[in-house]
Amino acid sequence: MENKKAVIEGLLYISGDDGITPEKLCQVLSMEEEDLTSLLENMTKEYREDENRGIELVSYGGRYKFVSKEMIAEYAKVLYEVTPANNYSPAALETLAIIAYKQPITRSEIEEIRGVGCDMILHKLIARGLVRESGRTDAPGRPFLYEVTEQFMDSFKLESLKELPKLPDFRSPSEEKELFE
Amino acid sequence: MAITDEFKVTIDQFEGPLDLMLHLIKEKKLDLFNLDLDVLADQYIDYIRSMEKLHLDIAGEYLAEMAELIEYKSKKLLPRDTSELEDNYEEDTREVLIQRLLEYQQFKEVTGTFRELSEARSMQFDKPESDLANFYRKESELNSASNDGTMAELLKAMNQCLKRYRIMQPMPVSVAHREVSAEERIDTLKRRIPYFPEVFSLDDLCADCEDVYLVIVTFLAALDMIKNGELIAAVSEERILFRRGVNYGK
Repeated sequence: MENKKAVIEGLLYISGDDGITPEKLCQVLSMEEEDLTSLLENMTKEYREDENRGIELVSYGGRYKFVSKEMIAEYAKVLYEVTPANNYSPAALETLAIIAYKQPITRSEIEEIRGVGCDMILHKLIARGLVRESGRTDAPGRPFLYEVTEQFMDSFKLESLKELPKLPDFRSPSEEKELFE
Repeated sequence: MAITDEFKVTIDQFEGPLDLMLHLIKEKKLDLFNLDLDVLADQYIDYIRSMEKLHLDIAGEYLAEMAELIEYKSKKLLPRDTSELEDNYEEDTREVLIQRLLEYQQFKEVTGTFRELSEARSMQFDKPESDLANFYRKESELNSASNDGTMAELLKAMNQCLKRYRIMQPMPVSVAHREVSAEERIDTLKRRIPYFPEVFSLDDLCADCEDVYLVIVTFLAALDMIKNGELIAAVSEERILFRRGVNYGK
């Protein structure tokens, strides 16, 4: 078979923003997952470290794809005369964060944490494809459960939810002890 | 007391009652872990009252929390019943609120990191998938009827389809028709006629017409004005000419 890296590069180029899952690549290239993973990690490193390259290989939400490097953005700004839009309101970010760390979670649980109604913002986040329903609980009224989507992970540079930033801890151990005494 | 001067931050800058409480705790340098709920309750109630004085809309959630704080305060003020229940109530209310504030604060803080991540992501661009539709046909679609696509996948597919469709279609352009009544047109004409010479033509009246519709309305308006004696009309060399009538300007 031809050079596997070349085949992967070509396929990723075709797949565009959709990206390809490692499982699919294994299937197409008839490779063991282990071998593929190390190959992909290797390629990721090569693209990132090679300063002669303007694109890099990333894995967001479980899919590998090519993106232009961050430093290209300032030139793109000049070329297309654009400025980045501020995409997320504080309410959207709070709601997304709560769902990401606590999923699957019901609307009323989100509202309890935020202290405000979240009906509208949830609808907006679902419409933007960042949040989806994931079944119902057995609680009275059988409320919907919500979780974040792969698109959420893509939008926040996360390979998976394991990569979520650590929640800040405001309790020092002694204070924590006090609280529970 | 000049409460309103004291609070420079208006309520619509907060994400909710918990956000407001965290702000007050920080501003008044209260200790979140040894929270003096009396002080916080006073501050909170003062704040909401001052916002009411400014006639700002205050969402129900803020008022609900205020009601709880007022209940807490009033129970404390009541003659002490030494039963354990009362003690627990005070301690529980405080504990529950501290826990809620701590948890909310965690999520509020972490949103900063999320914003940074999304900003970094917005500087990385990717391209749409290559369109293979004209070159290849999906074998899986032809051969297997099994499809366990989710709602989200279905939506995505539909969006792709619509996107492709939109690219194929000419840009939608809609021309809005502004409906003007003859009465309205008469008003406009009356404002314009003073600037016309003694004798003027229908073309002069129609000089500002953007479409045939308005020409017709202008014609109707002119007929009305002739009927009312405001204009006198004459036809000369296929042109309709007007001059001011006896009732003009009345």
